[in-house]
Amino acid sequence: MSENQQIIANEYYHDGVVRFLVVCSMLWAVLGMGAGVYVAAELIWPEIDFGQFWLSFGRLRPLHTNAIIFGFGVSALMATAFYSVQRTCHVPLPTLRLAWVTAMLWQICVLSGGLSLLAGMNSGKEYAELEWPFDIAIAIVWISFGVVFFSTIACRRIKPIYISNWFYGGLIIVIAMLHVVNSLVMPATLLKSYPVYAGAQDAIVQWWYGHNAVGFLLTGGFLGMLYYFLPKQADRPIWSYKLSVVAFWSFTYAYIWAGPHHLHYNSIPDWVQNLGMVMSLILLAPSWATMINGIMTVSSASEKLRTDPALKFIVLSLAFYGLATFEGPMMAIKSVNAVSHFTDWTIGHVHSGALGWNALIVFGTFYYLVPRLVDAKLYSVRLANIHFWLALAGTMLYVLSMWGAGVSQGLLWLSLDEFGEPSFSFKDIMASMPPYYMLRLLGGFTFFLGTLLMIFNLVMTMKGRPTVRVRPPKITATGEAQ
Amino acid sequence: MNGTRTNTDTGPLLLRVLFRPKETFEDLSRAEPSPYRIFFKYLVWFALLPPMFAYIGGSRYGWDLGAANPLILAEIQLRIVSMLYFFVLLTAFVSTAFASQWMSETYGARKSLGVHMAMVTILAVPMTVGSVVHLYPHVFINLLVFIPVLIWAMYLLYVGLPVALNIEPEKGMLMASSLVGWLLVGFVTLLGVTVALWTEGLGPSIGA
Amino acid sequence: MSGLSLHKRLENNAGLLVFGILVVSSIGGLVQIIPSLTQESLKTPIGNTQVYGALELVGRDIYVREGCSVCHSQQIRPLLAEVKRYGPYSRAGEFVYDRPFLWGSKRTGPDLHRIGGKYSDTWQKVHLINPRSVVENSIMPGYPWLAVRPASSTGNIQANLRALQRLGDPYTDADILEAPAKLEGLMEVDALVAYLQQLGTGFDNSMADNHGAEH
Repeated sequence: MSENQQIIANEYYHDGVVRFLVVCSMLWAVLGMGAGVYVAAELIWPEIDFGQFWLSFGRLRPLHTNAIIFGFGVSALMATAFYSVQRTCHVPLPTLRLAWVTAMLWQICVLSGGLSLLAGMNSGKEYAELEWPFDIAIAIVWISFGVVFFSTIACRRIKPIYISNWFYGGLIIVIAMLHVVNSLVMPATLLKSYPVYAGAQDAIVQWWYGHNAVGFLLTGGFLGMLYYFLPKQADRPIWSYKLSVVAFWSFTYAYIWAGPHHLHYNSIPDWVQNLGMVMSLILLAPSWATMINGIMTVSSASEKLRTDPALKFIVLSLAFYGLATFEGPMMAIKSVNAVSHFTDWTIGHVHSGALGWNALIVFGTFYYLVPRLVDAKLYSVRLANIHFWLALAGTMLYVLSMWGAGVSQGLLWLSLDEFGEPSFSFKDIMASMPPYYMLRLLGGFTFFLGTLLMIFNLVMTMKGRPTVRVRPPKITATGEAQ
Repeated sequence: MNGTRTNTDTGPLLLRVLFRPKETFEDLSRAEPSPYRIFFKYLVWFALLPPMFAYIGGSRYGWDLGAANPLILAEIQLRIVSMLYFFVLLTAFVSTAFASQWMSETYGARKSLGVHMAMVTILAVPMTVGSVVHLYPHVFINLLVFIPVLIWAMYLLYVGLPVALNIEPEKGMLMASSLVGWLLVGFVTLLGVTVALWTEGLGPSIGA
Repeated sequence: MSGLSLHKRLENNAGLLVFGILVVSSIGGLVQIIPSLTQESLKTPIGNTQVYGALELVGRDIYVREGCSVCHSQQIRPLLAEVKRYGPYSRAGEFVYDRPFLWGSKRTGPDLHRIGGKYSDTWQKVHLINPRSVVENSIMPGYPWLAVRPASSTGNIQANLRALQRLGDPYTDADILEAPAKLEGLMEVDALVAYLQQLGTGFDNSMADNHGAEH
């Protein structure tokens, strides 16, 4: 054997870091969803903060959002990105040490960032609450994430770059751009800074960031997950290559424009609002193109649903993806937005996406991935099926109760009596909300319970078993993979 | 057995769905009902009950949104809203039957419109039965009743669809999920359209 | 199909792919953000809008720290019911010194943009410490710690003002020097109340344009 072939013969994919990130993601799920359940309860019984600043709703809420998005979500994205980029490039991560550093530093950033939120360090901008020292740390770790990912692509042994990598690549590049621009501040002290933007300008920049954090992190990144893991699980190629190309580029182009739909009837120029509305409607097309691609891929592989609980989660996540990406453009229409803005309908919409799409596809992916990481069967298929129904029930309860609450609020806030005065006081309208909030608490708690079942199941699957070593396919003399 | 048992009157079908849903779907799997007969004999009447109960409840008690005293709508507005409710329900059921027929190609299901219409009619039963709560029109209580109704209807869908349309359980699961997606999207559209029209001035005036 | 063969070239070249993503994703932001950064009306204060005084700035920083904008908006929309309930709708020129903007995305509590002067200082203080003592079914959390923490402990007021000055807000060096004195003897709750009491007071109804609310 030549020296080169010998090196290749001893090569394994680096999956230890993948396993680490999966475990971290599950820990964040517990913390983030637990915080979510707690704040949902605080909206019914405000006394359960016991007068403590670190349990106060205003500080716990950003802890919830940050733990879920940056803890649970990004850890899952990093895990699946590292897993899939190696296999789609047929090469182990060339910068393994950097991959571990990225994974571990990220956890430290999110953990210390979360604690800083409880301590009161808050920039005041949604989903970008962490103050400037953390912004810098996050940027550095994100760059190293990019280096690990793109260096793998640069060293690939297959010429074409598979579509899941376009989405993960888009995630890394666009989030970097958004983060840097939106986090531009003038520091006053180590703990406090002020944005370089003010007022209406700050609003436009913030929601360009905020909406595209949803677009490229919560949507784009997870689409990368979908495009790799769905064909693997269904054991079929993606239904339409052409559709995926068109969908990717129109998605990347259109999503960026949609930010101003968070600012309808706010004091920003009308043309910006209208542009945001129109592009949000156009965005429906690439989103649904992807959903159709996914469903058609699965529909030819339906017999796998019998034995594979993971596939069930992915199928359901596609249905909720369709719902959320339909509801979004609809709520971006100004006359609908006049009713929905500032209400619980927005919260319902967020969670139909966060629970129905993001969480569910992570669950499906983890049920597929974890047994393979340790070369074992899933500990309990029955528990996974129970989890499926708990997740579905929890999501439906959450969404329906918030639709009820939100539409009531919106319509009642706008109604005028025969003298042209508001018909109901704000106080009275909100006083009718607790029943909806109870249903939401029940929904969120049910969802959380299902998640705990999954974590138990996956921990029992992994316990005591080392990460299995997988070789990349051998490349023959003609350059073909064997 | 075959179609001869499913054709007397609304009573037995309603009861059979309530107490023997599996049998009802099995009967359907062997039957070839005419879509028109299903529509006029069953679906129209099932769709009529919720708006009727809502009208009675709305005119006797007024709609309680929880914020203040129950809202009494003007008689003409109540009538228009009730009629719209009826037409929306009918449109929803019929369009779902067509959507289901359209999907049957992809999933290898039976294609006749009558079968899909009958399946949708069976799925309408929980809602028809549950709508009796409209007689006491308190929004939250109605929500509380309609959530189990929804769960029940979804259970009927997932269990009954593969049986009625003669496809394997896994394909049935996929097709049922697609229909759920269709229904969710339809509902959200309805929400949006209603709200949009309302803010443009086309809606009942509440708050007196 | 030449489009697809072009794309095959992109797929085989990581650099081109990265460049393509960067270009395509920048366009929307450039179009929507650049004009807003140069538009005068978004940078010009209207009416009586002024920079925040030292005490009010401390109050605003507390508002941000406690996450008040998670439940309260500061943006009255040009919708008739909203104008009737809260007052004249919000104009961009009122927010030119707001860093960060605090328009909010959710109303679990009422909009606060024109809350200034609507309630007495005493009411505001009592409400902040324990909302349920003045509003029966309120689900707002209480902030008892605001009453015992001095306003000077919130942050470094001079460093904060200097940062704002560097960003272009019209603070004089004298303002910065005199700032700590303005906080003496006052608690965080006093600062927050001072901030709340000036909210929306910069706008003078005579500045309202002719067409008023749209709906």
